[in-house]
Amino acid sequence: MALEQHPVGALEQALEAQHERLMPCVHCGFCLPACPTYNRLGDEADSPRGRLHLMRAVVDGRLSAASEAFRRHIDRCLGCRACEPVCPSGVEYGTLLELARDVAGRSRPPVLSTRLMLAVFSSRLWRGLFFLGGRLLRSTGLAALGTRLLPSGGLLGSARLGLAMVAATGPWRASRRWTEGQDGTTSHAGAVGSASADPDRAQKPPPPSRATPVVADRHRSTDRIRVGLLTGCVQEGLYARVNAATRRVLEANGYDVVEVRGQECCGALHAHGGDLEEARRLARANVASFEAAAVDLVAVNAAGCGAAMKEYGTWLSNDTVDDMAERAAALARKTRDVSELLSESGPRRGAPLRGVVAYDHPCHLLHAQRLEQPPLSVLAAVPELEVRVVEGASECCGGAGIYGLTHPDLGGRIGGDKVRSVLAASADVVATPNPGCMMQIGAGLRLAGADLGVVHPVELLDESYRRAGYYAGGPSGSRGPRPSGGI
Amino acid sequence: MTEPLAPTLERRLVELVGRDHVITEADRLLVYESDGLSAYRWPPRAVVLPATTEEAAGVLRLLHGEGVPVVPRGAGTGLSGGALAAEGAVIVGTARMNRILALDPENRVARLQPGVQNTRLTDAARPYGLYYAPDPSSQTACTIGGNVAENSGGPHCLKYGVTTRYISGLTLALADGELVKIGGAGTDPEAGYDLVGLVVGSEGCFAMAVEVEVRLLPLPEAVRTLLGIFASVADAARAVTAIIREGLLPAAMEIIDQNTIRAVEASVYAAGYPTDAGAALVVEFDGTDAGLDADARRAEACCLSAGAREVRRARNAGERLALWQGRKKAFGAMGRVAPDLLVQDATVPRTKLPEVLERIGEIAKRYDLTIGNVFHAGDGNLHPNVLFDRRNTDERERVEAASKEIMALCVEVGGTITGEHGVGVDKRKYMKLVYGPDEIDAMRDVKAVFDPRGLFNPGKVLPDAEVSA
Repeated sequence: MALEQHPVGALEQALEAQHERLMPCVHCGFCLPACPTYNRLGDEADSPRGRLHLMRAVVDGRLSAASEAFRRHIDRCLGCRACEPVCPSGVEYGTLLELARDVAGRSRPPVLSTRLMLAVFSSRLWRGLFFLGGRLLRSTGLAALGTRLLPSGGLLGSARLGLAMVAATGPWRASRRWTEGQDGTTSHAGAVGSASADPDRAQKPPPPSRATPVVADRHRSTDRIRVGLLTGCVQEGLYARVNAATRRVLEANGYDVVEVRGQECCGALHAHGGDLEEARRLARANVASFEAAAVDLVAVNAAGCGAAMKEYGTWLSNDTVDDMAERAAALARKTRDVSELLSESGPRRGAPLRGVVAYDHPCHLLHAQRLEQPPLSVLAAVPELEVRVVEGASECCGGAGIYGLTHPDLGGRIGGDKVRSVLAASADVVATPNPGCMMQIGAGLRLAGADLGVVHPVELLDESYRRAGYYAGGPSGSRGPRPSGGI
Repeated sequence: MTEPLAPTLERRLVELVGRDHVITEADRLLVYESDGLSAYRWPPRAVVLPATTEEAAGVLRLLHGEGVPVVPRGAGTGLSGGALAAEGAVIVGTARMNRILALDPENRVARLQPGVQNTRLTDAARPYGLYYAPDPSSQTACTIGGNVAENSGGPHCLKYGVTTRYISGLTLALADGELVKIGGAGTDPEAGYDLVGLVVGSEGCFAMAVEVEVRLLPLPEAVRTLLGIFASVADAARAVTAIIREGLLPAAMEIIDQNTIRAVEASVYAAGYPTDAGAALVVEFDGTDAGLDADARRAEACCLSAGAREVRRARNAGERLALWQGRKKAFGAMGRVAPDLLVQDATVPRTKLPEVLERIGEIAKRYDLTIGNVFHAGDGNLHPNVLFDRRNTDERERVEAASKEIMALCVEVGGTITGEHGVGVDKRKYMKLVYGPDEIDAMRDVKAVFDPRGLFNPGKVLPDAEVSA
């Protein structure tokens, strides 16, 4: 009887169903040097090839999915997917990892911190409270204070890292040098993304009227592409200003940004954390919400969420209820990173910002979505902005969800290496289009005592547009570079 | 399964290199049971990962004390099973010995630990206008230590020669942990016996290289890369012979057949090889800019007269890189066609290429197997990739039989059983096709000088003593 079957056997069968995905690995080893954990630990079990070998051993019945070796090495993967673009056989490592985590997680629950985090992200209420707490810690200065006072090791060290991540989410202030002499006044040098009155306090997405640029309104026409923004959890909770900036720059580039009600967490954290069932539930909710909003395209400004939404078709490929598999695949096909939308439209150039920005690739943009140029084209639309791609930008920053909390030593080493290369770029600010990476790099910089802000690239473009006068009345509407002034 | 290490030995190893770097649990050892040749599965007794010369020597000393055999392993990308652990051996991995110790652009030498990846060395040398010439197709992943063990080749070895020409000194750890320096920048390589040359290519059977000194070359001033499209591999091979007869010396000449073209073109490394072509031939010239165009034109004419339907020229560095990426990642891309493959490696006189390729095609047909050919045509180094599925026992037996016939064929026409992948485990059974018992005994005597107790990489290269006696 099915009930008497050993549960692990059933789980191994779940992985077995993925045999066709595993088989293309011919063990060539070309993935080894791309793997941040292999490069640091030197153990092949912590390489993509080694992890695939363990998965195959589970499928072949040579290794138990409940074994310590399987759990440890599958857990220790950052999920950065840097191995995928270098794989000649096109092994779908990210999908296999999610399944392996799911299998390992069901035979042995993940650690408490992972379970807590996933539970919080599953519920709107808990999410709301969690991020409210985060904003309070940030605005009262307690997060910054804790970062300075707490010790670096043990449980308090984890708390310190968490607080540093929260503290790092605050807005960045451009120095006066960035904007001097452009419009006859320096009074506009302020928080980047300050066009909207108080974006970070917004619990709900700001009403469209507030987020819609005045100028773009006049150019609304029926052929404009209707775009729904995935507001996201961390993004809306701690980086609402990034969502606001995204809406403005998309509108300024001719897109119609509409509100999508009832949208959920994208499910990426659950899928990476070994709870595919919950990830699928969230994905179904998003399929329904974005369908109801009748959008042409979905815009995502968080690399991790975009990579997840582009996988919805795979996640729900076996879901036959209400044609869910097809509908999920259709939504996945409509999903774009915000930089894809902007680079397709140009993007329109703004006013100059005279500074140096260090750009770091989020893994889920570069490796998972294979987008290298689009985010750089966003920054290139800001005249006079000097962009320095961080040395080793294609390597993970160690953020990887809550990796820093579950693997403090290794996560700390990977993060430390990233902080060193970011600092070596000698920039005024760091730009990277993913909230997890923004928090990880921002926290790393803070803990290293460096006074360097981290922004999303659209924030810089937004500031450039604001200074160009695209948002606040005045003669506008013509595409392309415009003389500054007249704000 | 082999027995675990004695607890005292394990404890001492842990004291020496740290708990995380001594792997003894059977579940974790599974990932070391294969190298790039996944048809073999031999799990090691343990894996030890030292980080320094002293640690590596210490590890060998401890294992020697207990009479435990050792196998040095780099990235495990080898294709002859050389980095597998036989006879209860412990793997000593070099993944953590991955530092470039010194780079001397004036003297064009670099000193490095054996775990440095081949490409990383060139990346480090490039700012000085230098590079490391041997370029095995796995160069992004494979290590210099592994290259030394296998005397690795690569596409550009046609003009530049194989690894041994570029190794000027070695620090070896012998089986008992004694450190021995041979060669080196200060030593005239011509004085006395060429001990470095003896060790390079010894497949980890003599000693473990713990430090390597390499020679670097200045980057060529200019490059021309051609792609000839042919109806058959035989035509492409005739073009290769014509180019050599013309007196040209290309840096590389590589043939990719239709099966391989299709796998590559379906991958991220798609190079633009036409999928309806019977074969593609990549020819590259490098050196001083003057004269390269003339060479390229003459090679073009050779291709056309051998029946090429088209000859293209890479217009920029991006196109050139794409052509090479496609060629170099071809082995990995074969996973798209079948789950398992046996990459064969043999060398034949260049003029025999058309005949041998035709006969390999017949062998494939007779055994009902798919074989993809991708190889260093310029030096007659064949790589027939035999595709199969290990779950199909009958097919596995046919692969074995076909491989044996291919080897016999190559020897019959005056070639040999390996060009660059080494003998390892896989070719051991073919050694008697090319060597008599006296030669094999002589090799055994040489090994005994370095490794009298026979602790280094047992069960590799030479056939078992009783077989050859």
